[in-house]
Amino acid sequence: MTNILADGITRERREAQFRLDDAWASATGRGVSVAIIDSGVDTTHPDVADRIKESVEARLEDKKVVFDPSDSGDSAGHGTACAGIVASIAPEVEMYSIKVLGPGGLGDGHAFLAGLEYAIKKRYRVINLSLGTTKPQFFAPLHDLLDRAYQAGCVVVAAANNLPQPSFPSVFSSSLISVIKSDETDPLKFGFRYGEVIELTAPGVNVRTAWPNNSHRNLTGNSFACPHIVAVIALILEKHPDLTPFQVKSALYSIARHNRER
Amino acid sequence: MPEPENTDLIEKLRRFVETVDVANALTEPLSQTIENLLRVSAAEINSEEASVLIREDDDGDLRFLSAIGKVAEKLLDVTVPAGKGIAGFVMSSGQPLAVSDVGEEQSFYAEVDKKTGYSTQMILATPLRYGGEVIGVLEYINRRGEPPFEPFTPDEMDRAAVFAEAIASLVNAYESAKIYRELGQKILGDGEEVDLASVRKWLDGLRTSAEHREMIDLAVLVREIASRGEAERRVCREVLESFLRFSNTKDDTSFLSY
Repeated sequence: MTNILADGITRERREAQFRLDDAWASATGRGVSVAIIDSGVDTTHPDVADRIKESVEARLEDKKVVFDPSDSGDSAGHGTACAGIVASIAPEVEMYSIKVLGPGGLGDGHAFLAGLEYAIKKRYRVINLSLGTTKPQFFAPLHDLLDRAYQAGCVVVAAANNLPQPSFPSVFSSSLISVIKSDETDPLKFGFRYGEVIELTAPGVNVRTAWPNNSHRNLTGNSFACPHIVAVIALILEKHPDLTPFQVKSALYSIARHNRER
Repeated sequence: MPEPENTDLIEKLRRFVETVDVANALTEPLSQTIENLLRVSAAEINSEEASVLIREDDDGDLRFLSAIGKVAEKLLDVTVPAGKGIAGFVMSSGQPLAVSDVGEEQSFYAEVDKKTGYSTQMILATPLRYGGEVIGVLEYINRRGEPPFEPFTPDEMDRAAVFAEAIASLVNAYESAKIYRELGQKILGDGEEVDLASVRKWLDGLRTSAEHREMIDLAVLVREIASRGEAERRVCREVLESFLRFSNTKDDTSFLSY
């Protein structure tokens, strides 16, 4: 079966273009767990249907956030779009949808933090955070959670804020991988901006991906650059499952430098 | 002018008009400025329609506060359910995004388009932030001219974010002033019959007084401090309460002089 990537190029073409001797170039993300902390995922969408292993949803109970199994899908489309990008590049990953955005009180910063904590406790290897907050009160708890993620071996990837102000956690560049959009179309031709707060660049302009109700959309935003890097990390971790978050970041830097030199 | 014996009503009216005047002084130019900024920014981003959505209630539903374009008036009657559609997502996540092919199937915009008769093809939506909080959403719909439209570019998203910053400050000021206006209405009380013509005449005289102008200046100052954050509000309250206690200890004399 031919896999169509997010920008429409085929997996065969990608492998031909990406002539690293590393085994990861031909990986599919098999066996790597990826958490999508977002607006939920439409699990009936054919692009992601068989890749979503579990869906949970945040709920407030006595001022605490708990997670229940979810069948409410994705009311906004954003989570499905992110999952679609991951699946298009790493078609055999195991994805776990953690819904923290939506109606009924979801969208609160505490639900966002609880979702991240849930993913870390489950030790999902890669965590997609196409979200962020600019509220200063979440700075410290997010920092603590990211340290815990680092120690647990979870690689957290966050989208940069598009606005002219810092957002958390994307500015915590030392303990996670933060991504900003570029107009590059090849999903593996991501870049590394050493010395910048937001270090990685990945396709995020007019990306065609899954959308609820069995449709597709062309989307622009840092939100959609983030899952590109998540997928690449899944490919790397399939072939090198023992890499630490630090080593993953170094590998990305190395690949990005190679991309630039080619 | 009302009869002197009705001092209670006069006092209520005095408070009412002071509050309403402050609110009006702040709101009247604000809504127009928001609309002007929408117009300028839509031209800059080469978009046909632009609108501002704000939170309507505690459930997180959104309503259109301001809009420009062909169906602007119709949009003002539309509500977006919490978390629904692009605007709902941007509101709850704080992440801006652009969709260059909205499509026609069961999306929120299909419902809006049915109500307005408009055909939404593409959207650029960015959050309105104030004091770290997302207080609304700024949207641009379609390009000027006829389809097919060129997708919104990253540069246009960046420019929208800059406009969003300015508009967010105005929206916050507008909403704050609205609270004052509603407070003024509550002070007058529901169901009380008032001879508005005589009130207006009396108020016209009142407005011109130096004391009244000072009251407005003071109210604006307090509002400015209150908008700086929780710590500032707390300190301001403590200082004012301390001053009130100090003032109450004085009889006819005061240490204050001008």
